[in-house]
Amino acid sequence: MTESSPLRSRLRTAALVGVGAVVLASCAQDAPQDTWDPAGSEAQRIHDLQWPIFMIAGIVGLIVMAVVAICVVKFKDRGQPIPEQSHGKAWLEYMFIALPAVLLAGIAVPTVATIIELNDTDDADCVINVTGQQWWWEYDYPIAGDGSICGYMPTGETGTIVTSGQMVIPTDAKVVIRGTSRDVIHSFWVPRLNGKRDMVPGGVHTWNFNANEPGIYAGQCAEFCGLSHANMRMEIVALDAADFQSWIDNQLEPYQPPEEGTLAAEGEAEFVAQCARCHQVDGLTDADGNLVVAHPEDQVYSGAAPNLTNLMTRNTFAGATWDLLVEDCRDEVWDAPADEFGPLYLEGVTDECLNETQLKQWLRNAPAMKPMYTDAELLEPTDGLVRGMPYLALSEDQIDKLVAYLLERK
Amino acid sequence: MFTTGTKLLIGSAALAWIGAAVYGVAQEGALGTIGLVSAAVALSLLAGINTFVRDSNVSATDTESFETSAAAQATARNSLWPLLSALGITMMALGMATLPAIFILGIVVTAAGLLEWLVQGWSERASAERAYNDEAREVLADPLELPVAGAIVFAVIVYSFSRVMLGMSTKEATVVVFSVLAAVVLAIGTMIALKRNISTPVITGVFSIGIVAVIAGGAIAGLNGEREVHEHETTADLAEENECGPEETHADDKASQTVAAKSNPAATLIFDGAALEIDQAGDDGNSETLTLPRSNPSNIMFLNESDGEARLVLELHPPVDESGVPISIERICTTLVEEGGRQFMTAEFDRPSFALEDEGVAYEFVVAGTDASVEVVVP
Repeated sequence: MTESSPLRSRLRTAALVGVGAVVLASCAQDAPQDTWDPAGSEAQRIHDLQWPIFMIAGIVGLIVMAVVAICVVKFKDRGQPIPEQSHGKAWLEYMFIALPAVLLAGIAVPTVATIIELNDTDDADCVINVTGQQWWWEYDYPIAGDGSICGYMPTGETGTIVTSGQMVIPTDAKVVIRGTSRDVIHSFWVPRLNGKRDMVPGGVHTWNFNANEPGIYAGQCAEFCGLSHANMRMEIVALDAADFQSWIDNQLEPYQPPEEGTLAAEGEAEFVAQCARCHQVDGLTDADGNLVVAHPEDQVYSGAAPNLTNLMTRNTFAGATWDLLVEDCRDEVWDAPADEFGPLYLEGVTDECLNETQLKQWLRNAPAMKPMYTDAELLEPTDGLVRGMPYLALSEDQIDKLVAYLLERK
Repeated sequence: MFTTGTKLLIGSAALAWIGAAVYGVAQEGALGTIGLVSAAVALSLLAGINTFVRDSNVSATDTESFETSAAAQATARNSLWPLLSALGITMMALGMATLPAIFILGIVVTAAGLLEWLVQGWSERASAERAYNDEAREVLADPLELPVAGAIVFAVIVYSFSRVMLGMSTKEATVVVFSVLAAVVLAIGTMIALKRNISTPVITGVFSIGIVAVIAGGAIAGLNGEREVHEHETTADLAEENECGPEETHADDKASQTVAAKSNPAATLIFDGAALEIDQAGDDGNSETLTLPRSNPSNIMFLNESDGEARLVLELHPPVDESGVPISIERICTTLVEEGGRQFMTAEFDRPSFALEDEGVAYEFVVAGTDASVEVVVP
């Protein structure tokens, strides 16, 4: 018996470590973007299709790799004479053509059927407009002819709801999104609810999904869209009927100004002076009582900035990348059982649960947290318009006031 | 020791590693460095595999036979390709100092010269027999050279034709001249077809004269410049002049009544003669308002299913200055759309709808001269 060489031994160890790493990676827990864990009917359709295809492809792949490995090892040049070369075995060649053709045809039939089913936008229960821009998602809820929103009639006066980062939907409802982009191509992807759909500027692209149970479903922009592509996340929050009705009613509540003489009231003035050029808060008025209308198109390349009217009803900010909730409160909401989730989510961000550290850090210097194109010296290509939130040189006093004001936006 | 393929991969891997180091230090760019390091790792892996399996070619290790074979003894023939490459490099240098177009052309010429030189060099060592080597070169180079040469000749002819057409004093003169020219081409073609034993030099001569004439005509016309082309009025002019009414205008004259790209509009507005209906994905047909995003161009398709012509108009209600004059265009419109026709309209809204409420107005699509309308909600 020959002794294996040190090189061969090292290669074997490296291969084992590589394979082991791959195997261990598949054991990941707490993976909110797991395509193998569908939570809605569309994702289930994809799952039912990809399992058998994965099995077929995996078996074919293993066979091919095994044959290649055998050939590489067995027929390696060791100075032996070149084997006799032969050509022609018609039945084998026919089989090599017919077998893949049959396999592909067999895969094509359910694949095409699934694609058609996934693109069916008829009989929608809820329609939401989605607009992507560097590097966050905006959602607005159109009003139906009868005044309802997403199939739910507001208890008070109806109106348009605009939000960002977290899209709220009712459970067990067929949701159709009409998506587009304001700047570059983005891709909407919440793996547990459906596959990816590109959002291309100038076009409107539809996609649909539903969520079986209340909860938060995480997603990620799936088309490279610039510097902070990795920080462009999205979350879909599913609420049961009663909770969704409460959410809609709350979103349509008229603007409540802070109580006079409070830190939040001072924060409102700071907001008008510093933030309202880009960020809209519906119903906000200036010192003269004039309605404040944000004009992000004068400052931002995409022409939009997140609407902050009900910021504290969401629990993430800055493209759903950072939490508005401290870790314990966040875990409580994310890990809540389906029947307890809605009320917890609707509580929004409370004084005790506010992630003040990161929110203040963001206000202190946003580009230091999330890479963005905001350096005034490098904005020639965009005629001075920023892509992202710039450094505003706010004092700690201003930041405290703004946080106090924002905490009341729910 | 190392096969040619392995040497290539080792060299490429080394180049990628050096490139990654140089880029990382000189540019301080993480993304580029990561890309180059990834390429270097991949190339190193391939080089390692290739070394292990020896290029899957046992005979490749036998370098002696390559150096002593009869094919390797041929003397290199004269070649014009180095001259072409030199010309290309000169153009690149010239282009760096003058026009980017010359630089790009220089790159193309240099690449073509080097490629041809490479093919010639390879073919001269294909065998010890010169005739076979020439044939080998043709087999490899002809599929590349002939389409490229054909494309260049075709482009020159088309460009020359276009210069001549644009150089004519009037559109009518262009029609007459090219009708006569087409008749002459047809006549010559017919004569060639009818005469059975026509010699190749004659055909070559006729075609050469024709091509030279076209190029010369194009050059002369190009130097003389284009005739003044009257600009056709558009719907943008209608909006500018506030003429988005139901009457026919110059902008409607000969306007296309078809839309090429019908996919992915924000909505289709269908006019049946009395009302506008909204057709949107996910919509049950009962929507009375259209919700469109702010600060983003939205494409709306207008489909006229009425018995007559119709024009879709979007009332924009722009802000006014101190003297009450609108600071931008008040409305935009499509051309007059014939029965069954379609038109696209691209609209962008720079104020949310609630900002218009104080003025008692709203964004609105209307059909000119009718009561049909649809309100637009801009969140």
